[in-house]
Amino acid sequence: MREIMYSQALREAMSEEMRKDSNVLLIGEDVGKGYRGVFGVSTGMFEEFGESQIIDTPISENTILGTGIGTALMGMKPIVEMMFEDFIAVCFDGILNQAAKVKFMSGDQFNLNLVVRLPGGSGNGTGPHHSQCLESIFMSIPGLKIALPSNAYDAKGLLKTSINLGEPVLFFEHKKLYKTKSEVPEEEYSIPFGKGKIVKEGSDLTIVALSYMVNVAKESALELENKYGLDVEIIDPRTIVPLDINIIGDSVKKTSKLVTLEEGILRGGVGAEICSQINEKFFDYLDYPIKRIASKNMSVPMSPLLEKAMIPNKDSVINEIKEYLKL
Amino acid sequence: MDLDKDLSLKLLEKMLLARKFEEEVYDLAKKGVVHGSVHLCIGEEATAVGTVLALDKDDYILPTHRGHGQALAKGADPKRFLAEIIAKETGLCKGRVGSMHAFDRENNNLGAQGILGAQFPISIGVSLAIKLKKLDSIVMCFFGDGTSNQGTFFESLNFADIWNLPIIFVCINNLYGMGTRYLDTCKVDVNKKAKIFSIMTETADGNDVEEIYLKTKKLVSRVKKEKRPALIECYTYRWLGHSAFDNRPYRPKEEVDKWKKMCPIKRHIEKLKKNNIKDKEINSVKDKIDKIIAEAERFALDSSYPIFDDSMEQ
Repeated sequence: MREIMYSQALREAMSEEMRKDSNVLLIGEDVGKGYRGVFGVSTGMFEEFGESQIIDTPISENTILGTGIGTALMGMKPIVEMMFEDFIAVCFDGILNQAAKVKFMSGDQFNLNLVVRLPGGSGNGTGPHHSQCLESIFMSIPGLKIALPSNAYDAKGLLKTSINLGEPVLFFEHKKLYKTKSEVPEEEYSIPFGKGKIVKEGSDLTIVALSYMVNVAKESALELENKYGLDVEIIDPRTIVPLDINIIGDSVKKTSKLVTLEEGILRGGVGAEICSQINEKFFDYLDYPIKRIASKNMSVPMSPLLEKAMIPNKDSVINEIKEYLKL
Repeated sequence: MDLDKDLSLKLLEKMLLARKFEEEVYDLAKKGVVHGSVHLCIGEEATAVGTVLALDKDDYILPTHRGHGQALAKGADPKRFLAEIIAKETGLCKGRVGSMHAFDRENNNLGAQGILGAQFPISIGVSLAIKLKKLDSIVMCFFGDGTSNQGTFFESLNFADIWNLPIIFVCINNLYGMGTRYLDTCKVDVNKKAKIFSIMTETADGNDVEEIYLKTKKLVSRVKKEKRPALIECYTYRWLGHSAFDNRPYRPKEEVDKWKKMCPIKRHIEKLKKNNIKDKEINSVKDKIDKIIAEAERFALDSSYPIFDDSMEQ
């Protein structure tokens, strides 16, 4: 099967839906004529779809998001790109008080086919305003769905589902994934929300990893197996709202040990939610307390040594797991 | 220019509907029947009625938090609206959100705002959709003088300008944002803010329903024809508090009395009489409204409260 990059997979998902339906729009800063997406995701799309579907905007995140909400109220299917995930803070009202609440507040008269694409994550020295992983903040807002694809195949399938879901979706894309490749079929497909994936089967320990951290989990698992004979199972939930808690629970039944791994900060993170749900529903199957691995509770530094110290990487993950299991 | 008789009576009818509806809401609030706050537009009815009646059925509105008059003028069913305000399941939004946030899809009301200024960006999206879909509609985005100090206002004026959007911003300038005078918050008139962006602007006596109607009507046809945004600022006054039980120590009595003398409904009735419309016709409008309100009250009080079910969880 052909292999394509994560960024191309996203572009294919958007382009396929735009060809089918002129109501599908891409709205954002520099998505069209200029940069074609600051990470090149929308390269060539302005040339194909023109200004009736690819909407370049002023630097005004509030109104960029509002343009998404308003066009969605009118039955269109906007995809709003925040140039960097961090910028969503500028339009937090639109997310929290508008997009998330329209369906409930209107007594189900309106629903929004709205996708907000959010390039996030660190590792390139982009510092505190261009590097964050903020998904956990949005988990506690009713009315939003949240996807975090970790590879090109999932990115395409989940984005196609998001565009037609009929509910506001926050779509978290890790910048370090854009150039990674994976097998993606030529023919169309989609991936449902709320259905996790076993990335690697194993019997000794379960790691639930999010987004780019799935790659870190894979590297760590390989070394843990080679050096310590530890057979790790890796689960990628792919969406965290809704969360496929049963796929994690079923894995815990097998391994009796659970580690959560994410790039967002530890305090109040997605790992904390997973930990609570597993404790509530699968406590009897655990032999160890659940271990959360996440970024340290600090702003993302630019300085490379500090950045490395803050964010989980293969070595830090292996060390934490060794300590956890007393290896 | 004088309006034809039917239209003049229609303006009266919609203003009376807003007034009587809100007096009913106020009564119910005083009796403790309203769970939550209500923001009444008594005294400002002409701004809602004169603008909205200049629209077609296919046009859209985004009302303010003080938006009963705007929603009713656009066609909201008084029975279901009152039921919504007293939290009944027969309400416009199933009794979930009450007075301040009503959506009314049937009448192209895309939701009133509890977050002041949030309507601007959304109305940009609505008008962009109208343009992309090549519809012959416009959107009317309501806001108060105080809300013109939000950054979203300037952003949205800019978007409307560069994208040539079919939108009319309607400023209901009632001199106060809650208890603070507009003049203490900004030195620039609201309409002048729009002029920076070469947006067509108009101002009107906000207590003269005919003037507002005629000026808005002209703007509507220009927006549709020239494909350019517009703004109208209407100067008026809210007689009651910011919310129903605000006893408003921040306003001098003489100021309130002065504005009450300029009651938009009284002024319109005087004009109708001058134009030889008979008392009998005016009274029959009043009777019609009284009947509508009585029916709405019965319907709302007789309806049930919504009950939680798991499907509400998101």
